[in-house]
Amino acid sequence: MNKIAITGIGIVSPSGMEKRAFWANIKAGHSKVNKITRFDASLYPSRIAGHVHDLDAYSNISSRLLKKIDVFSHMALVASEMAIQDAKLDLTQENLKRVGIFMGNAIGGWLYAETELRDMYLEGREGVSPFMASAWFPAAPQGQVSIHYGIKGYSKTIVADRASSLMAIAYAAKNLERDKNDFILAGGMEAPVTPYALLCCNTSGVLSQQNAQPQNAYRPFDKNRDGMAIAEGAGILILEPQERAKKRNVPVYGFITGFGTTTDGVNRIDPADDGKQLARAIRIALDDAKLSPSQIDYICADGAGTILGDISETKAIKQVFNGNAKKIPISAPKSMFGNLLGASGALDVITTLLAMEHKLVPPTINYSTPDPECDLDYCPNKAQTKEIKNALVINRGRGGINAVLVLQKEGKT
Amino acid sequence: MTTEQKVLTVEQKVKNIFNKVLDIAPEDIKSDAKLDESLGIDSTEMVEISVGIKKEFNVKLADNEIKKTHTINEIVGILKTRGIN
Repeated sequence: MNKIAITGIGIVSPSGMEKRAFWANIKAGHSKVNKITRFDASLYPSRIAGHVHDLDAYSNISSRLLKKIDVFSHMALVASEMAIQDAKLDLTQENLKRVGIFMGNAIGGWLYAETELRDMYLEGREGVSPFMASAWFPAAPQGQVSIHYGIKGYSKTIVADRASSLMAIAYAAKNLERDKNDFILAGGMEAPVTPYALLCCNTSGVLSQQNAQPQNAYRPFDKNRDGMAIAEGAGILILEPQERAKKRNVPVYGFITGFGTTTDGVNRIDPADDGKQLARAIRIALDDAKLSPSQIDYICADGAGTILGDISETKAIKQVFNGNAKKIPISAPKSMFGNLLGASGALDVITTLLAMEHKLVPPTINYSTPDPECDLDYCPNKAQTKEIKNALVINRGRGGINAVLVLQKEGKT
Repeated sequence: MTTEQKVLTVEQKVKNIFNKVLDIAPEDIKSDAKLDESLGIDSTEMVEISVGIKKEFNVKLADNEIKKTHTINEIVGILKTRGIN
């Protein structure tokens, strides 16, 4: 893969809005997972989540439009504007037919969908808002962002469970490599803190039930882990070829240089326990970036926090990095803000880029009891100083989806 | 009450539906303004408006009636033919 530069970041997350607030919370290891109070979740086995609080304060979207869109599109619009500003782009000066949107999410706009379904059963067919037709579906945010800015280039929405946005970012980079667009808004959004979405996540059996202490519940790689906490938010990046970024004379956070994806082909929920297909995805990504395993300085892990997820991820890393595996810091920053499902990859990429910028490995929080089957350096509880030149981001989805992205700090000289 | 005043009342009620359902400011809602061109109203918004009309006047506008409607005056005219004055 040729080097594709990342020149803008937009963040809507439980750990803060915009990169400065977000990084301050990540650096400090603060947990932002809390009890769900937005609706009565008292009968759910898992009733904790990472919540976004300040969306309206950062939004310039009209109330007329807000009636017609789900909150996941709203989050995408706010994060997109932040990313555009951050990248110092003036869209009036761009050829909008050569601007793309690549975004991912796992479940669509369920707050809108379930509210309208309820109305259908209570009030009948006429109780359902006609806006339902365009509000809930997974490609709705792509559509809303394109309408908002008049963007008309090659665009795509990726739905691949928790690997959705990492894949969207990777395919955006591939698209730029083939010169299909000048630049792309890439990332993801998810809004699963709703009664029905939370129920579905609960029944999949991957959520932590440590409700008494929400901030300590999501504990990837710890022996006493019992699953993840869900979270809502959006992460949008501006991707453009290195030459164009240089010509525009804008700062570059880092470069996307490799991608690998495989599927386990084993189980509809759980990953394969041997980690072999994830290991193969890591190797494909490294080959794509023309890097050897010894050149990797940091791994931003999927860190599902499930028994099998963390063991199989650890096995995959060991298969690729052999004796070096214990020397590479690995962490799951999402332990702090929760798992944004389809948007988690975008947040992982952003966290890794900020880690490169600040020369600091973000921690895996809530780590207290080592698991003999997860015996690598997970950067427990406290950020570690380290220069990161090359990093991997791993995301995995139900049904055995494995996706690995390579990020590099330096571009071509 | 004169006929003119009654028509004005229905018209104001229809304008209020536009304001309530779509958050369009009352001063922006002109009776003869083109709904699609001036107010930017799309097909799903028109369906939402027709739901509002059903609730307010208990008059069901057929889909082909909605599609043919271009101004608030025309909506008021249809309501008049259904006995809403």
